[in-house]
Amino acid sequence: MEMQQSALSPAGADAEGIATLSWIMFGGGAIIFLGVLLLTICAYWGGDTLRRRLASDEFVFLGGIVFPTVTLVALLIYGLMLTGARVMATEADALRIEVTGEQWWWRVGYTGQGVVTANEIRIPLGRQVEIKLSSADVIHSFWAPNLAGKVDMIPGVVNLIRLRARKAGTYRGQCAEYCGGPHALMAFHVIVLEPAEFDDWLAKQRQPASVPSASKQGEKLFMSVGCRACHSIRGTSAAGVIGPDLTHVGGRISIAAATLPNTAESFSRWIRDNQHIKPNNRMPPFGILSDRDLAMLGAYLEGLQ
Amino acid sequence: MGAIWLAIFMAAVVIGGFLFAWSGLYSVAASRGHWPGFSLILEFGMRSSVRTHALGIEIPNLEVPALIERGAGHFQGGCAPCHGAPGQPASPIVRAMLPVPPDLGATVPTWKANELFWIVKHGLKYTGMPAWAAQQRDDEVWAVVAFLQRLPQTSTAEYRALANLEPRQQEVPIRSLAQGGPVGTSLAACSRCHGLDGAGRASGAFPRLDIQTTDYLFMQLAAYAEGTRHSGIMQPVATELEEAEMRRLADYYSSQRPAPKQEPIGDEALRTMGESLATVGLPDQGIPPCMSCHAEDAAARDPLYPALAGQYAGYTSQQLELFKTGRRRATPAAEIMSVIAERLTSEHIKAVSLYLAGLPAARAAP
Repeated sequence: MEMQQSALSPAGADAEGIATLSWIMFGGGAIIFLGVLLLTICAYWGGDTLRRRLASDEFVFLGGIVFPTVTLVALLIYGLMLTGARVMATEADALRIEVTGEQWWWRVGYTGQGVVTANEIRIPLGRQVEIKLSSADVIHSFWAPNLAGKVDMIPGVVNLIRLRARKAGTYRGQCAEYCGGPHALMAFHVIVLEPAEFDDWLAKQRQPASVPSASKQGEKLFMSVGCRACHSIRGTSAAGVIGPDLTHVGGRISIAAATLPNTAESFSRWIRDNQHIKPNNRMPPFGILSDRDLAMLGAYLEGLQ
Repeated sequence: MGAIWLAIFMAAVVIGGFLFAWSGLYSVAASRGHWPGFSLILEFGMRSSVRTHALGIEIPNLEVPALIERGAGHFQGGCAPCHGAPGQPASPIVRAMLPVPPDLGATVPTWKANELFWIVKHGLKYTGMPAWAAQQRDDEVWAVVAFLQRLPQTSTAEYRALANLEPRQQEVPIRSLAQGGPVGTSLAACSRCHGLDGAGRASGAFPRLDIQTTDYLFMQLAAYAEGTRHSGIMQPVATELEEAEMRRLADYYSSQRPAPKQEPIGDEALRTMGESLATVGLPDQGIPPCMSCHAEDAAARDPLYPALAGQYAGYTSQQLELFKTGRRRATPAAEIMSVIAERLTSEHIKAVSLYLAGLPAARAAP
């Protein structure tokens, strides 16, 4: 699956504006730089008339005061128009999502839908999405560069970001504010789906977990070993709220905040060695589990599609 | 000139000293005693060293029955073999040591509590007095000191009651013979503190074993024997056990029918806070509910996780403090608990221990 994280490859209205502004600034900067270079060459090696003109008060006034003032004012007006356009009202049919930054993962809730997930945000193509951003601990920053600019997540404050995707695909996002040791391992994915596909997905997410009967032993272990103290799996007795909701964890594309691919082996590795994979994360390492136990748990979690 | 003579003199002393040691004329025999007066010099040096090193050690409240009982329990196995105990003179073999391990009833009053603590924790070089086997466990050392301070006024009968040396242990060989093995003597060692029924003692000096599963008890004995769970009291006992004995002991205690529910004790508000911690946790502080892992029903709990319902509050809170401060972290299971205990305050620990102690104890094995 192609997963990209690039501000130069916009897939949303905001990101397009930001990319355009960036290109204008790169282009304009390059033209001005070349112009200054040309004038410098003229000033050294040009004819006497040219050099006299360059040294005149009028030229210094025009080139040194009028030109920068006009250019920067124009850029400012354009920039304000662009950012002003981003401050749009939330539309009535907008999809509302809440994302909370936690050390070091993302809690994702679909407002009013009874759907809680983690580290992965699925949104419909073309429809406006309003995301309420907050933090459970320290300052994080929400940045999915293909779709929009950065917005900080500040403890005690709710920030809003509204975006609209214009191209289906899977995009990578990253915490963009240093938030402690494994900050670099706090990433996420935004998956833009066709509206019908999205509705199907959301309907499935609302369902409680469906556990293949082969995994019943894994489920029993999940409960007895204490995973349920921190994780929820709707439809079972696991109702912990400290860690990510795992109801449909097997259907996500990665685990541990886009740190490991979503495979049974990854789950097993994470359960036992999570403190090596992501040092100081809040989950205890479960060294008490045998390889067989770990394989059972891994298979169970991967099966939670 | 003076400097040269001094150098020659020093060299002569060093070489002379070496030759004397090499000749073997000095006798290291314990039977010969020290040269006259030499004992006084050694004693002076020892007392001064202890006094200076014990400066600044803060003395906790030692008038706690649980501490005294725990100290007495260890004293019988750990100290009495050399020092003797009320009604138990030390063995003639020990009496032939140099220096002779003192009768503690007579010498304890000459030391302050902080000095006793320092001696019990660090031992005394060249005397045969060992250091505490688990340097992480100051709490255990204080328990011994608490008992030592009581020792001079303890009669033989009182001592036998405190250390639980009374005839109950006569029942042991019969029961353990029925289980087919030499558990007898080791069970005698266990039961002095934990009781034959594994219910510990009302003071909470010793944890209950009757509520725990075989697997849990076996793992703990193994961890003590390996030194991954630290205790100057339990490690020496566990090290003596063969693996098969550990299993039989674990089986024996886990199959006891738990004693009835303890009466709830302590502050109502504190217990309410404890209940909420145990059943709901404090999710915004990353504290999961205890009962998710330590379910009352043994079938819903991993066999390596201990039961907490009905356990004495003093034991639970002591262990949580050890987890919290990283002094019980060397086994994979302890690692899990440490991560969580680090997030608990001392008030949380007190509250939750109190609540758990008030819960009815469930049977570990059907």
